[in-house]
Amino acid sequence: MNLSLKSYSRARAVHVMLVYTGGCNGCDIEIVNCIFSPKYDAEQYKVFLTWNPREADVLVVTGPVTKHVEKPLKAIYEAIPEPKAVVAAGACATMGGVYKNIHGDIPSEEIAGPVHEIIPVDAKIPGCAVRPEDVLSGVVSALPLLLNAK
Amino acid sequence: MDNNNKVTSNVIEAEVPMGTVHSAAIEPYRVRLFVEDEIVRDAEVTIGVNHRGVERIMEGLPVEKANSLTEKICGICSNIHIWNSVLVAEKGLEIDVPPRAEYIRIIMGELERLHSHMLYLAHGSEVLGHETFAMRLFYIRETVMELLRMIGGNRVQYGVPIIGGIRPRADLDEMKIQKIKEGVDHIEEKILEFADRFIRDPMVMSRVTGVAALSKKDALRLSATGPTLRSTGVAVDIREDMKQYDPFEFDVITQDDGDVKSNLLMRVLEIPESIKIIRQAIKDIPDGKITNRSWEMQDTGIIRNYVEAARGKLYHSYRLEDGRVRNSIIRTPSITNINAMEHACIGTHITDAQLAIVQCDPCFTCTDRAVQIVDHPLKKNNRII
Repeated sequence: MNLSLKSYSRARAVHVMLVYTGGCNGCDIEIVNCIFSPKYDAEQYKVFLTWNPREADVLVVTGPVTKHVEKPLKAIYEAIPEPKAVVAAGACATMGGVYKNIHGDIPSEEIAGPVHEIIPVDAKIPGCAVRPEDVLSGVVSALPLLLNAK
Repeated sequence: MDNNNKVTSNVIEAEVPMGTVHSAAIEPYRVRLFVEDEIVRDAEVTIGVNHRGVERIMEGLPVEKANSLTEKICGICSNIHIWNSVLVAEKGLEIDVPPRAEYIRIIMGELERLHSHMLYLAHGSEVLGHETFAMRLFYIRETVMELLRMIGGNRVQYGVPIIGGIRPRADLDEMKIQKIKEGVDHIEEKILEFADRFIRDPMVMSRVTGVAALSKKDALRLSATGPTLRSTGVAVDIREDMKQYDPFEFDVITQDDGDVKSNLLMRVLEIPESIKIIRQAIKDIPDGKITNRSWEMQDTGIIRNYVEAARGKLYHSYRLEDGRVRNSIIRTPSITNINAMEHACIGTHITDAQLAIVQCDPCFTCTDRAVQIVDHPLKKNNRII
């Protein structure tokens, strides 16, 4: 299967929705950067950033999901039409990051848990903060879910 | 415009709520705009969604670990947080920092200011509706990000300062110094081209001139800080008082009007000043070691320190007990700028309300912490600590 970004995204314009769930802004700006910045420029591959869940295909979640944002995150996930893919970006989104893990086994009062405990996650991008190259490859790895869905 | 913060009897019924997750606001926060005939009469900004309890997590951690945790408070101004946290420990334990380490810390701090200001300009341009400007600025900003990656090893959260100096991997050699020199030359050329293009654009200028103006009196009354305060004409910059900045010549930029135009130009004009500091730093960077390891841990009282972050005054304080951090308090600049944001919204057209909030350079992810409002013993009005 040819997984190149160009061949997939030319078949369909992909809209990426970014949700902040209590991260530090680092990953979020890197993701916006890799779509807007002419250096990475995902828009040339028809990958667009949107803030409307009803037109989104890929949901990119950053941050450790604080308890306040747990319900809105579920609502946003429900609002995205099928087929959809969820990408967890950054150390906080993939495993809770420093905020959840630095105090060992003591449960956190603020953090509801990594993203995969709230909504199903299809791809995980590691890094603190994520590098734009990794974001592009992470979003690409979730694309077969969208394109192969009937 | 004149009904600021006065309790009036007339109830404004039309309310436009936005958030907490909203397409116009990139970060999660809640804005309530009370409108009358499409003019904003009152505004309320609520945060709290991002609260992660960083100070509570810091309680009882070893000081080195707590310092690297403070870096994770903010992804935009990560260096200034860890720098200030390290300065608190150095102040309490009376550690001398080698001059070479001070210079490299300042180079990192100023590079971070460059990338933060460019991000502000890009965000502002995007909210204005001028996406081409935003893309151009992101392109110029890439040069800074590459320099930060080269020095610190990561594009965001480089973790350069440690207690007593800087990390060995962040030491500068001739090749890196040459690259910084070329990088800042490139940034200065491009940002001045951008500023020229920005000022000559009549469409953009008519969109920003006179919008969401904040007067000098209001800015002082609302405890606005940083470039938001300086754009109203008050020349306050903590860098002038910091002993780390003593060897450097730079000007404190001020603007007069306090509107969106002044705020945008403020950041544009601060970029050459930061570049001036970086140029001086790489020109006379002293030789010698970069870390002072000869210090001993001891218990201290509460230590406080202020530094100037890209957004304004940043405060860290904690006390040390058996090498562990106790009673940590962090106060980020955006917490008082929220008042300025709410006030700047009042009197604007509803389409400019988002611009009025963005002009104060909000960073809500680092601001989200428990706030205690105390009565100042000497003053009548309440102040946020």
